Amino acid sequence: MSGNYRTWPTLVFLSVLTAPLILMYSYLFVDTITNTPPGSVIPNEFTLEHWRFLTETIPGRPSIWLATWNTFVFATVTMVIVLMVSSSAGYALSRLQLPARSFFLGGIMVLHAFPTVTLLIAIFLILQMLGLYNSLAGVILVKTALELPFGIWIMKGFYDTVPWEIEMAGIQDGATRFQVWTKLVLPQVKPAILALGIFSFLSGWSEFILPLVLAPDNNVQVLSVYLAALIADDQNFDMALFKSVGVFYVIPVIVLFVFFQNRLMNIYSGGTKG
Amino acid sequence: MGNSKHLGLFLLAPAGIFVILFFLAPVVLTGVFGFTNMSTATGITGGSYMVSESAMRPLRSRFGEDALADQLSKRIYTIDEEGLQAAAEAGGDAAALTELRSNFFNESFGNRREVETAIKSLNARPSTTRGIKIISAQFVKSVINVRFDTFEELLTSIADFGIELSDDQIEALADVTYTGWTFTLQNFKTMVELPDTRKTLINTLFYVFTTLILFNTGFALVLSISTHYMPTGPAGFFRSIWLLPRVTPPVLYVLMWKWLAWDTGFLSVILEPMGFAPRNWMLDSPTNAWVFIILINGIVGASMGMLIFSSAIKAIPASLFHASEVDGATRRQQIWHIILPQLRWPILFITIYQTLSLLTSFEYILLATDGGPGGATEVWALSTYLKALQNYGGALQYGYGAALSLVLVVIGISVSLIYLKLFDFKNLTAPPKIE
Repeated sequence: MSGNYRTWPTLVFLSVLTAPLILMYSYLFVDTITNTPPGSVIPNEFTLEHWRFLTETIPGRPSIWLATWNTFVFATVTMVIVLMVSSSAGYALSRLQLPARSFFLGGIMVLHAFPTVTLLIAIFLILQMLGLYNSLAGVILVKTALELPFGIWIMKGFYDTVPWEIEMAGIQDGATRFQVWTKLVLPQVKPAILALGIFSFLSGWSEFILPLVLAPDNNVQVLSVYLAALIADDQNFDMALFKSVGVFYVIPVIVLFVFFQNRLMNIYSGGTKG
Repeated sequence: MGNSKHLGLFLLAPAGIFVILFFLAPVVLTGVFGFTNMSTATGITGGSYMVSESAMRPLRSRFGEDALADQLSKRIYTIDEEGLQAAAEAGGDAAALTELRSNFFNESFGNRREVETAIKSLNARPSTTRGIKIISAQFVKSVINVRFDTFEELLTSIADFGIELSDDQIEALADVTYTGWTFTLQNFKTMVELPDTRKTLINTLFYVFTTLILFNTGFALVLSISTHYMPTGPAGFFRSIWLLPRVTPPVLYVLMWKWLAWDTGFLSVILEPMGFAPRNWMLDSPTNAWVFIILINGIVGASMGMLIFSSAIKAIPASLFHASEVDGATRRQQIWHIILPQLRWPILFITIYQTLSLLTSFEYILLATDGGPGGATEVWALSTYLKALQNYGGALQYGYGAALSLVLVVIGISVSLIYLKLFDFKNLTAPPKIE
């Protein structure tokens, strides 16, 4: 665009601004496989010792593999429930006649904008009362509930773009509304389901505050809480170890980001918290 | 098609259950808990009744019942069947116990020395001090530090103890001995009275508006407009890089900033030759802490504005730009007269949305400075968390924390409703076409 203007000043300007960020991310990876002498920023040897946490459990911590498994279960189950509940509720809101439909729509929109983290104390007490404190099930239910307004909103938006003619034709041919939804409409919104699925998985994988407050015990610990506890321990300060655990933790995120970047960009601009 | 209504409700039901359990219930309960003195000391379920040292203090100070408090705090020793049996089981001398029963049955002693004197007066007294102590320990009677599930049980026990209570005293006791939580307005009084609240409030306003203006809208505009004036390749590259902080899990993202700021970290090493002593740049002064907090949050926040503004700029017809260039517009004029007017609504959207999320999210601050140094970066949302869920010093104050969050919940609901009004609600609720 705009052949009349020179692009290089903008390029230089933005490169300068972006350099510190690139530097931080580069060092994140470099420091996990090298040693750097004190007082220098240039690594002088290659090493794999920072990755020893994969084979030996750090004293006082759960095994990294247990934490990884917990994180995986947490993120996956959250994703599955969010997909099931939002794809059905989104369809109902987009296409079906409901009593008090505009109330539901307004409600979802308010919930979508509402900052859920303010409810943390009440949720903590509710889980205590229900006996779900310190369990993966409890924190999964809460995370799902907090993701739902966003999920329903996104799914409703995608359903709105499906042409009515598809459904009309299905009804003409004698299908019920339920069949129309499962057989005709759902395949139309596959890209939305994929995008929302990836988004929910990443959101679950990265979640920190909820597991920290609702399920902090060693046997249900997820990677974010594991890493934060490691960093908070002043007795054993080892930046390279922290970074290695961090890189291990972020691998699935990077993989998904690289493969689905455009879809994610779409969904992030659909409005998330933060 | 009469069944579409039922199908709709059926499809909506699971979402409804989740929303009620984990949205509506917490909203209502935040309101309820905010008016209680719930803490780790009171527990979260119902409490019990106990005459304890801490319960006697208000009995003296608030109700002036010093005499009653003294009586209740006393331990007395009564020779009764229960005690005799316990003494036999504890290995007390059998002959001594038989004699004790015949000589002193149902007699009371004011303290342990008196009961031991009585035991020593027996013909069959145990030969060792230890033998005496085993027996004497079994007859102690006290209501202090015994937990009763109901107030009636406590009253019965006090009556057994030989204390008669007036109605006023019963009322006072019910008040001071209850260990569970009660309803109170104290949280809100405390909130208004504490000087900390003022400081937290000022911190919050400073944090929200500085971050919002400099980064969430300001820097987001810089990013989206500068990438607009670039070939597609570099534009995509820069947008991806600036999206990374949002995608990176918060714990790891903040760790990278800590690495930058640590006393043996990057900044310290780089700046040392220039004469700056190595230090923890993030925590060594309140100013530095704020710079880091705003950078950390702002860079994450800017990415959302960047995406939304970029897509809004993309929606501007290219012919507008071409025409203005033919007319000799400078880039500044293009930005001012074409791009910015087009971004009015997106900017409003981002401003409202991000105000709410900056106001209520504390994840990055918790990880980076934990409110430090010395509470300098403690914002409202963080202080609710610190008061109610992470208090190294003592009891967790659920009630006070809930009262603090109630303020945020009320702001959250109001702003969400404004948001609903502003962003064209009618369009979103167009009725279904198939019915």
